[in-house]
Amino acid sequence: MRKKPRFHSLKKLKVRQDMSRWTLYSLSQLRQPNTTARTFFQQKWTAKADTRAYHGEQIREKKWARLFKRSIPAVVPMDHKYLARHDGSEQAAGRGAGADSQDKQRTPPMTPYMQMAYYPIERRLDTAIFRALFASSVRQARQFCVHGLVKVNGKKMPYPGYMLNPGDMFQVDPSSVMFATGAQKARSSTARRVAKEKAAARAEAREAQGGQTPRQPKPEVIVPSKGEEPTPAELKKHLQAMMDDVDGVLAEDVGAKDKQKFRAFRQTVKRAIGLWRSASPESISTLDTQFDFLKTQLAGRTSTPAARTPDAVEEPLFSEEDQAKLRQAFEKLKLETEHTSAWNNRNAAAPYATPWRPRDYMSAFAFIPRYLEVNQNICAAVYLRHPVARPGLAEVPTPFPIETGQLAFNWYLRRR
Amino acid sequence: MPPRMRSSKFASLPRPAPSQSSRTRPQTITHNAPSSRQFSQTTSQQVTLRRRKFYEWLNGPGKQLKEPLPSSTNYLGAYDKYGNLVRAGPGYQRGAAKPQERGETKLTETTNEAAASTEETKPPEGQESLEALEDAARQEQAEKKDEAQDDSVLPPETQEDLRPFPLNQYFRSQPVLSEDLREAIYQRVKRDGATVSLASVEFGVSNERVGAVVRLKQMEKEWIAQGKTLAMPYSKAMLEMLPTTPYIDTSDPANRGKRPIVHEPINDLIVHPATRQQLWVPVAESRQFTREDAGKAFDNSLLAADERIPHPELVKAERELASGLSFDERRKLAEERFAVETAQKKKEEEAKQAEIRAQKVVPQRRWDFVFKDISVESAGRNGRDARGVGWRYGLPHQDRKKGQVKIPTKVEA
Repeated sequence: MRKKPRFHSLKKLKVRQDMSRWTLYSLSQLRQPNTTARTFFQQKWTAKADTRAYHGEQIREKKWARLFKRSIPAVVPMDHKYLARHDGSEQAAGRGAGADSQDKQRTPPMTPYMQMAYYPIERRLDTAIFRALFASSVRQARQFCVHGLVKVNGKKMPYPGYMLNPGDMFQVDPSSVMFATGAQKARSSTARRVAKEKAAARAEAREAQGGQTPRQPKPEVIVPSKGEEPTPAELKKHLQAMMDDVDGVLAEDVGAKDKQKFRAFRQTVKRAIGLWRSASPESISTLDTQFDFLKTQLAGRTSTPAARTPDAVEEPLFSEEDQAKLRQAFEKLKLETEHTSAWNNRNAAAPYATPWRPRDYMSAFAFIPRYLEVNQNICAAVYLRHPVARPGLAEVPTPFPIETGQLAFNWYLRRR
Repeated sequence: MPPRMRSSKFASLPRPAPSQSSRTRPQTITHNAPSSRQFSQTTSQQVTLRRRKFYEWLNGPGKQLKEPLPSSTNYLGAYDKYGNLVRAGPGYQRGAAKPQERGETKLTETTNEAAASTEETKPPEGQESLEALEDAARQEQAEKKDEAQDDSVLPPETQEDLRPFPLNQYFRSQPVLSEDLREAIYQRVKRDGATVSLASVEFGVSNERVGAVVRLKQMEKEWIAQGKTLAMPYSKAMLEMLPTTPYIDTSDPANRGKRPIVHEPINDLIVHPATRQQLWVPVAESRQFTREDAGKAFDNSLLAADERIPHPELVKAERELASGLSFDERRKLAEERFAVETAQKKKEEEAKQAEIRAQKVVPQRRWDFVFKDISVESAGRNGRDARGVGWRYGLPHQDRKKGQVKIPTKVEA
């Protein structure tokens, strides 16, 4: 059997969709196509071969040929002020309309349609993940999909060939993204020792459990109580628990290793909110909304009638200072999460070099095309629209000159 | 390497010395003697000319690209073929830039040059220039960076410096939204309750992007509420490497007189397929042949550009301004338009809800059964219409045929 050619060959330089040094070298060695000494067919063939090595080389040629479309989307940015002040007839006005001298016509920059020949490939999920800088190559992005690390609109999407629709949100597991884009871990004796120790600890735990894997703690579910409104006694009990936890949180250091207090507070808040039926998961999803919800629900409420003495004034269950304290606790929660997230220190268990830094040569490949909107904090992105050509700009990132793009487009045009 | 000219003023810059490159050559290349195992299929491990050139390039011109430039983009297009940063002044040295004390921001020569160049390549009437928008974003950033007049500080990037692929002059790395701007957009929509189109006009960000930013930011906040770990080191590093559009808080007294930076053109007119052909329509010279007539000439149902852009309300407002209406009158008209729009939206929403309520739902253990009204006619003439429901007698399914893709075509949000 014929040996498979090298993916990155120095003999035949190919630009690939990845962030490697070989690709960078090939990019630097790219030249304009030779159009003088070769036949048109030869030129088209070479252009096709070069561009296909970059655009969707993981897709079979037959599949790509079916994807190819000769009509390419384009837009023209319009000036609303001009549209408001002219109705378009001024462009047709000639000598008869009183136009005596011909003004110098300003021609728009050329719209590079044929640089967009491979725009259907940009719709693929694996390519979009690579373009959003969540993976270091399209092949890796593909692997992320297949391994179930990618979600589209919150649902697992194991097909790298899924064609994104405008408005689709895709997200990749952040630890995988940091592994893909981070510098590689150098093998060290410490890391190996840590891994061995961890494995030993796990084995020991299994032994202690009697050969069973340790049971994972189940995530707690908010169980809304039956009634529309909670009973005052219930309310008071939950409020007390919450305020106890507030003190715990306020006493806790943000950088503490043990996050138990923070976790407990999150749980009690959830449980307290779960008393109301009107609390839907959407209405209490963020810390701000949780706080507002609690404030509005508790502020006007008085303590239980049974506990009230006749001479005492009706005091609200949720006093001003309690509110201020709760606000502080929420602020601290937020701070704690951000601190944990930003905390970038040595960690032998991480699959990338720690402290995290971008991989070598990444900056040369770091760009995000306009048809994606990326939020790097949660490693999620939205596919806004299909890539378009506009005057002087083609949104499909392709390393080849316009001549090569035209030749490649013409190659596929022939078969339609 | 790209055909970027190396100007004489950079002749003083240190070139990568050949001795240095040989010193830093990786250990993986070993000078093996030719193998005695003639039968071996493994490729030769000796240093070939190609491999030597590869490492020479990596340790020479390519060395600048290995690490990101601090607070700047670092693309191949910004370097000449000897690995010198073209836009750097003669006094610039990589990694030597010190944080300067804050001074008065001033326009530098480069900004004037950029302004002049956009003047030359002005777009035709009626179109917005993308270059002008992006230049504005970069200049603002450059001003923020407190550049002093000395050469040791990097000037802002030009169009050419933003090319990751130097040969493709029709592609460049365009700015992304900065973290502050995203937060501001989210707050404007969620807290202040601004409509998407209003936020889009205010921030100069397209409608779809405003929606996406809000959706992503909301998710980020949910993650914080759940105590999930965010990828913050990654985020910081990426936004440092990418060109970004900064946020100008106009309510801040320090930014008095400044206007928010437009991120992208918001009135993109989609090129309609009917307008791709060339058309010869004889028209009397005395006739007022407007955009509407032109649209009709291409396709009977094609509207004029004023209606088809994403923000037709801007054109209407501008037209009222041009017609000399007073501020109160214009505001009244705008409010009327807004009322009509909200009523329309409400009606649509109600219709949708009514449709959902009309469905009969029978909850089961795992799945709910939903009963909808369907029509037999919707299967169409040949019975293969996508709206057709159920299995039709005598019509085999296509899904076991060769080449039928079973990847889902959409995922409900």
